[in-house]
Amino acid sequence: MYGFENITANNGWAMAVVGATIVFLGLVALSFAISQIHKILELWENRGARKERQKEASAAEQAQRIQGPVYKTHHLPTVNDLVSIYRPLAGQLKEPFELSQLFEISNKMNLAHPHLSIKKLWEADVLIAQGDGSFTWNKQKGN
Amino acid sequence: MSTLLYQFLTNTGYFLADYRHVIMLIVGCTFLYLGTAKKYEPLLLVPIGFGILVGNIPFFKGFGIGIYEANSVLHYLYFGVTTGVYPSIVFLGLGAMTDFSSLLAQPKLMLLGAAAQMGIYFTLLGALFMGFLPKEAASIAIIGGADGPTSIFLTAKLAPHLIGPIAIAAYSYMALIPVIQPPIMKLLTSEAERRIRMPEPRDVSKKEKIIFPIAGVLLCCYLAPTALPLLGMLFLGNFLKECGVVNRLANTAQNAIIDTATIFLGFTVGGSTQADVFLTPKSLGIFFLGSVAFSIATASGVIFAKIMNLFLKHKINPLLGAAGVSAVPGSAREVHLMGLKADPHNFLLMHGMACNSSGVIGSAICAGILWSFFI
Repeated sequence: MYGFENITANNGWAMAVVGATIVFLGLVALSFAISQIHKILELWENRGARKERQKEASAAEQAQRIQGPVYKTHHLPTVNDLVSIYRPLAGQLKEPFELSQLFEISNKMNLAHPHLSIKKLWEADVLIAQGDGSFTWNKQKGN
Repeated sequence: MSTLLYQFLTNTGYFLADYRHVIMLIVGCTFLYLGTAKKYEPLLLVPIGFGILVGNIPFFKGFGIGIYEANSVLHYLYFGVTTGVYPSIVFLGLGAMTDFSSLLAQPKLMLLGAAAQMGIYFTLLGALFMGFLPKEAASIAIIGGADGPTSIFLTAKLAPHLIGPIAIAAYSYMALIPVIQPPIMKLLTSEAERRIRMPEPRDVSKKEKIIFPIAGVLLCCYLAPTALPLLGMLFLGNFLKECGVVNRLANTAQNAIIDTATIFLGFTVGGSTQADVFLTPKSLGIFFLGSVAFSIATASGVIFAKIMNLFLKHKINPLLGAAGVSAVPGSAREVHLMGLKADPHNFLLMHGMACNSSGVIGSAICAGILWSFFI
């Protein structure tokens, strides 16, 4: 048998169409999968940083909530007010921490007068020096 | 004494040879010439060419000498071809040698590898049109993938009696890439299209390269499990290379193992072209269809690249479509050279290799699909 008759008799048209479609879809699927690999890896590798960003964002939100009424007057808040602002920030740090770390966070949060505020907390014994340059949060006074 | 001498002389190859042996000896010498003097795919053409010479030395049948005679040494070596063992081993080495970075950086180029497989299905129809049986037609069609081991693998499964002509046709056209592809590429592209520059591929991380063979084997082999002997080995070889903890195995796969398999594969395929088996009208038909398959594969890749350009913001150089056939790295090299002719600063080799790699995967999937149609 020859010609189109042979093609039809042996299901040639269907084999060609189905075969071509399968190989095309297969390679499209593979190409899509490999185009996503680097994105998935990026998400996976940045998961730690993302969690940290989320924590910072929630701390900032909390600080912002407190910041509103406190800094309207542009005066340094009282120790009690400062405690309520700085307690969540110090909570982010592993004790003992350095004041520079606390200063850095408060700067990121755009808190006013972070230097003076931290000094005031230190003077009020809310921040306790450990003698080696590190500090801890006084849980009795700082609550 | 004269009787003894006469008996000896009548047993010699000189006495037994006829014109068909002479034709095959010329074919074998042509392969050796192309491989050694012209350096066209020498790693393949040299063992095949020598195999043709060995396979076409006439002898008295029945003494266990020839490749088709049971218990002969050549028959045992040929066992690796008829069972599909050598192609699988070659794929292991190929995987261990291939760097898929350029493909991972530009996954859309994989579509060109898919488009170039259309030559296979057009040829399937052509072979059926010419009166070949369906299994023979499928075996001939796979020549369009331009992948020697894949062609041998599928033919061994579907039409073992055609291994010789199909393997010779597949490897011949792979060797003749510099002759076949450039005119087609030139015909289908304009000067401006050939000058299109491709962006620098992004850096690919080690993790991506490690994940790729796992994703590849799962996706492709679940789709076409019959491609497992080829793709399973290809991706295993690539994983050995990329995981970085089995460098000894990867080195062996990409050197000793693939070299050994290539020698035996080439030699026994060449040896299987005994004149009485090889020189038939069917072989002529196979050679004709093989050239059609290869040309259509090249053309469909180029045309598909042009179609993609209708939708893409950043155009791709349509020459890359020609590298979608899996002749690694011959077709990528031709694409690169043609790109350089149009623009001496247009370097397409890495992009061509991406298409080539996807062509290897595509043709192995096609082989699996065609085989599954007849299970």
